[in-house]
Amino acid sequence: MRRRRDTGVALLMLGPLLVLLGIFVLWPLLHAVWISFSTWSFYEAPVFVGLENYVNVLTDEEFSASVMRGLAFSAMVVPTQVVIAFVFANLVKSVSGRVATVLKVTIYIPVVVSEVIAAIVFSLIYAYKGGLLNWFLGLLGAGEDTAWLGETATALPAVAVPAIWIGTGLASLIMLAGLLDIPEVYYECASLDGAGAWTKMTRITLPLMKNIILFLLVTGFAASLQFLVVPLVMTQGGPLDSTMLPNLFIFRHFTNDLYVGYSIAAALLLFVVLGAISAIIFRLVRSEKAVDG
Amino acid sequence: MKTWPIVLTLVLVAGCGGTPTQKPAGKAEIQLWQQKFTDQEDAWYKKAVSAFNASQDKVVLKHTIVPADAWEQKMKAAQAAGKAPDIYTLNYNKVPGFARTGQIQPLDKLIAADRWAGLQKEVLGSVEYKGAKYAYPMLVEPSAVLFYRKDLFAKAGLDPNRPPATWDELVQYGKRLTTKDVSGLVTAGVAVDMAWSTWGLQWNAAGHLPISDDWSAPQAADPQYKQLLQAYQTLYKEGIMPKQPLAPYADANPMGQGKAAMMVCGSWAAGVLLSDYPKMVADIAAAPLPSFDGDATKPTATLGGWTLVVDAKSKSPQPAADFVSWLLAGDTTLLVDFFKTTRFSKYSPRDVVAQAVKNDPAAAENVWAKTIEDKIVAYAKPEPTYDFAISLAFGKAIEKALQGKDIDTALSEADAEIKSVIAKNNLAGQGS
Repeated sequence: MRRRRDTGVALLMLGPLLVLLGIFVLWPLLHAVWISFSTWSFYEAPVFVGLENYVNVLTDEEFSASVMRGLAFSAMVVPTQVVIAFVFANLVKSVSGRVATVLKVTIYIPVVVSEVIAAIVFSLIYAYKGGLLNWFLGLLGAGEDTAWLGETATALPAVAVPAIWIGTGLASLIMLAGLLDIPEVYYECASLDGAGAWTKMTRITLPLMKNIILFLLVTGFAASLQFLVVPLVMTQGGPLDSTMLPNLFIFRHFTNDLYVGYSIAAALLLFVVLGAISAIIFRLVRSEKAVDG
Repeated sequence: MKTWPIVLTLVLVAGCGGTPTQKPAGKAEIQLWQQKFTDQEDAWYKKAVSAFNASQDKVVLKHTIVPADAWEQKMKAAQAAGKAPDIYTLNYNKVPGFARTGQIQPLDKLIAADRWAGLQKEVLGSVEYKGAKYAYPMLVEPSAVLFYRKDLFAKAGLDPNRPPATWDELVQYGKRLTTKDVSGLVTAGVAVDMAWSTWGLQWNAAGHLPISDDWSAPQAADPQYKQLLQAYQTLYKEGIMPKQPLAPYADANPMGQGKAAMMVCGSWAAGVLLSDYPKMVADIAAAPLPSFDGDATKPTATLGGWTLVVDAKSKSPQPAADFVSWLLAGDTTLLVDFFKTTRFSKYSPRDVVAQAVKNDPAAAENVWAKTIEDKIVAYAKPEPTYDFAISLAFGKAIEKALQGKDIDTALSEADAEIKSVIAKNNLAGQGS
């Protein structure tokens, strides 16, 4: 009896949220799936074409290339972010309160900078003529200017740098919160047993940070695979599509195609890819409940 | 999750449908969206809209200026919500595609036949689809003019009065003019810009575009195109053109800022140079781009430009068309003022306006206009009207050449891509 009443209250409390979720997430999702089976424009009635849009997307080498490129981009961005965040968090933990505050504010600033602004600032840094980076390298004695955003070999790493810059602040603070959560007594005990810094790091810090790292990896991969604004502003996907990340690819089709079925099918397929990657990361890192201190 | 905004926006707005806007009592409201051009042009549009609103009391015309890079997004969202503007600016090359997909409505029935008199035949041809006229032409402008610095020519030991007449010369001159701070030649450097800015050169190199006239078969693998890709590859490899674009193709600022000894840009560049860099004008000359075989009567540019169209779902199609007719097909004073405002860097396809503009005493201030008209416009082709994906496939081939890839492979890949675009979009037989 008690349980039934509890369930009723829970459903009542959840009700508004479920309604909103239904209206703004579930219904659009189902509608998107439905119209992805049609050739469709805003001016003509949809024509049912079955799986044609999906076949077009899956047989389009540019789509699969953009997903692979997205993975390569994530592989550059996410591990770098996690490593920098880990080092930074340890640094902040070891310094005094006032210095730590300054450091935390400094690393968090890029998070509140708009992606468009960041993209413009980095475009100026990478500019071929009169750019800050080429000027600086010139001072160090580099002979010829490099077209950072103009060469296929350098464009993707060049776009990855602002992506790392934007995301590291939040990752660092989450990492720091995780570090501060580890009871100091563990380290004291380890010291008494004669453990060195390396042992403490590998036997205490890293195992206890596993869930934090897993969280950063999953959210980092999902976010970086969907990067849109930075490559859109900096390179428009070029040169030779070398910075054409999956969302930019879908965005280009959405804005340029006369019919929108293709871009909806591609967006849904990207959703599947993201879900699959998140599942793989969970499986690889094997999340466990944190051991309570 | 950033995929969702795209899907959600698409679906939500599609589902919502349009709601009627609040109107002032007694007067219908119609909307005009204008793509952002130069400040002077935007000011002219504002003036024109006020004059139209003052000239009649049946409708109120609301005017919105939309930045070019936000246009597609804003328009798609508005179309999805059923709130697309009644009237908007549209490029010639998009008119047939928009007509085919039912986005704009035919204007023949809304604008009287005598109002179409005196428009250039070829230009009129490019706004027609299945025998009906879907847009009213406003202006034409050649897509590619070679602007060059006479003072830098002299400094490099070149004759300032003799622009390059062949592509070999263009490359040679470019080499001599390139310094650490100044690029020998600034032109389009990314696929999306090369896709359209080279239409004239595509005609020039092969005598046709990379798709057959009826849009049924690709023609990008024509070996004649090799010389075009080779020219771009050399310019890039030799460092004559900057390895990273200094600005988008349509932006004339690199020349004004002294970063380019030669610059390929549309005729609109003249307006920017005259308005924003008056001190540079005396040192700059204009010439056509060279032909690949040296024949100066072959096209090196296409005539693009802007039209006004009426949305297919407009609730007030007649008042919307009345505005288009009032602005573009009626009294010439306001239009002549437009061509004056843009420093005579654009051309009217309407005889009576073109004549009035020519006779304007101020026309002499655009020192390049005559060269552009006599040597470029005279031989230019109209813009192609096929889907942009076709142009982009060819633009990508040029970009591959720039990045040092094999030219034959680049062309055959473009050919295959165009074939696939034709099949996926049922383009065969849609061309003329």
